[in-house]
Amino acid sequence: MTEAPAQILIVEDSETQALQLRYLLEEQGWEVTHAPTSESALESLNRYLPALIIADYHLPGIRGDELCRRVRMNVDTRAIPILMLTMEEGHGSEPAGLDSGADDYVSKSVAPEILLLRVRALLRTSGTRASALAHPDSHFHRARILAIDDSPTYLELLAQSLSGEGYEVTKAASGKEGLARIAGNSFDCVLVDLVMPEIDGIEVCRRINESAGHSIAVIMLTARETKEDMTRGLEAGADDFVGKSGDMTVLKARIRALLRRKFFQEENRRIREELLRNELDAAEARAAQELTMAKAVLVGELERKNKELEAFSYSVSHDLRAPLRSIDGFSNALLEDYGHQVDAKAQHYLHRIRAAAQRMGELIDDLLQLSRVGRAELQPGPVDVSQLAQVVNKELQQASPDRQVQLVIPDGVMANADRRLLQVVLENLFGNAWKFTKNVAEAVIEFGVGEDAGVPVYYIRDNGAGFDMAYAGKLFAPFQRLHSESKFPGTGIGLATVYRIVDRHGGRIWAEGTVGKGATFYWTLSPPNGPKDSI
Amino acid sequence: MNRNNQVILLVEDNPDDVELTRRAFEKSKMLNEIVVAGDGQEALDFLFAGVAPSVVLLDLNLPKIDGLEVLRRIRADERTKRLPVVILTTSTEEKDLISGYDLGANSYVRKPVDFAQFVEAVRQLGLYWLVLNERPPVTGTRT
Repeated sequence: MTEAPAQILIVEDSETQALQLRYLLEEQGWEVTHAPTSESALESLNRYLPALIIADYHLPGIRGDELCRRVRMNVDTRAIPILMLTMEEGHGSEPAGLDSGADDYVSKSVAPEILLLRVRALLRTSGTRASALAHPDSHFHRARILAIDDSPTYLELLAQSLSGEGYEVTKAASGKEGLARIAGNSFDCVLVDLVMPEIDGIEVCRRINESAGHSIAVIMLTARETKEDMTRGLEAGADDFVGKSGDMTVLKARIRALLRRKFFQEENRRIREELLRNELDAAEARAAQELTMAKAVLVGELERKNKELEAFSYSVSHDLRAPLRSIDGFSNALLEDYGHQVDAKAQHYLHRIRAAAQRMGELIDDLLQLSRVGRAELQPGPVDVSQLAQVVNKELQQASPDRQVQLVIPDGVMANADRRLLQVVLENLFGNAWKFTKNVAEAVIEFGVGEDAGVPVYYIRDNGAGFDMAYAGKLFAPFQRLHSESKFPGTGIGLATVYRIVDRHGGRIWAEGTVGKGATFYWTLSPPNGPKDSI
Repeated sequence: MNRNNQVILLVEDNPDDVELTRRAFEKSKMLNEIVVAGDGQEALDFLFAGVAPSVVLLDLNLPKIDGLEVLRRIRADERTKRLPVVILTTSTEEKDLISGYDLGANSYVRKPVDFAQFVEAVRQLGLYWLVLNERPPVTGTRT
């Protein structure tokens, strides 16, 4: 075998025979585990599945044929091939071995080569590779029996003969003790004497059925097998009724039958549960897969939309501006070359055309910037906001050389932000402050920083036209303007752009204002208690 | 390569823009000859035919061979690799700026919508590239 060595479980009560077999098999490179009884073999199957089981037919306790049946009754183990070892050919145990579900049988006296041939053949058919169980579970265990009888002699007799059958027997000398033991353990079967002082068998039976339902098989034992007693016992919930006698044959047979039925039912339930669980797992996996697929589709969609938007912006930037240049340029040519031929009204119209074209140019530029700040990759780093504010205001001063504005900009205000985007914020907010203070005699524009919830709050305050707080909510939506174009020209996109930039930093922006008294814009550049900006 | 007397090569496919650019040059008293190439292929054909303009004004959105590719081929050719090339376009998309400079553009000027500003831009461009700037020495074997 080139793969991992096959694991073989030997079930053999004879130490010497087990050892012989182990040597023989290990010589072939197989790994061998040994269990001296069916009970211990079944226990080990709870933890681990071999590729092949080699079982002696004549075992103490559970015999080889019963072992076969149990292995075959379990979904996890039923595929494991079983090779039955029999005493002598023609001894009569072969048919029993095969009937029980063994895949093959050989006599113990067979030549080792023959045995190995059979083992190899079975390993070839074995679909089971040695594997740990997915759900370590007590599929197999020695049946636990509780015997309740007030006669110590009979109790001892019961215990001895049933232990010999491979059962795990617990004794209780009274109904009370029996019930106490049931409360603390899980038994497969209870044998209870009908006639006992205080709590009798009928009462025990009733209580078991009340508390444990029918999960425990109950066999009523009685010295007198009267019709009346039988009726009472069965009415109380006993599963069977057996007369007390020194000969345990009948009792053993009944117990075996009851337990087989009980195990069979449990196995059925287990299979049902397992199927249900598999179905649930499969449904869950399906749902997860669908979710992943849906996500992938959405991400792909988003990427596609982003690309489309980028292409759209690009073509807007190129193609929409070109005709505007023509409109403005040729209007200008008309004015310059033929202005003297038309009256003042016509000239006025031409000026209006030029103004509209230029305004549309600004709108396009602002819209492009808005879409660009939404797409641009954030590159945060330490920024000297004070210095940036100085630069921005210097440019604003150059654009309006006649204006006298008192600027208050403290030194050393720092932020962790994308420098370029923060500059756009300052350009817009300071630009607005300059714009809305143009009619104020002594314009004052103040920049500063405070703190809220552990995060720096930056602000720009002016004493200009201000705004009505009733419209504060509209400030940051694109194309929303609170002032007429003739008084304060603008595109209404600047604050939307600012909002977008602040939002992309995880911060927020808000404004306070009074009509005629000025406005203050506050903003943060990180979420509350988020990465703290150094000041 | 023949050093033509202060020729400007304008690579531009939009006739309106051609006309307005000519007008802007007139308005700013730049009376140099302006040769117009309507697409990238025409521009390259003109340049590789042996005429060295003082400056190339290059639009980016062009039919056939786009502006960036024209620039790349100009820089790749021994005869034209030092030619002053000014990108004169509508776009201020960052990627165009970066590609333009990466490919060796000497300047990048955006055409403003306002014609007055455009005239001013053209005036400064002409002043710089036609008057102030010392042209690179002629390369190649032909004279």
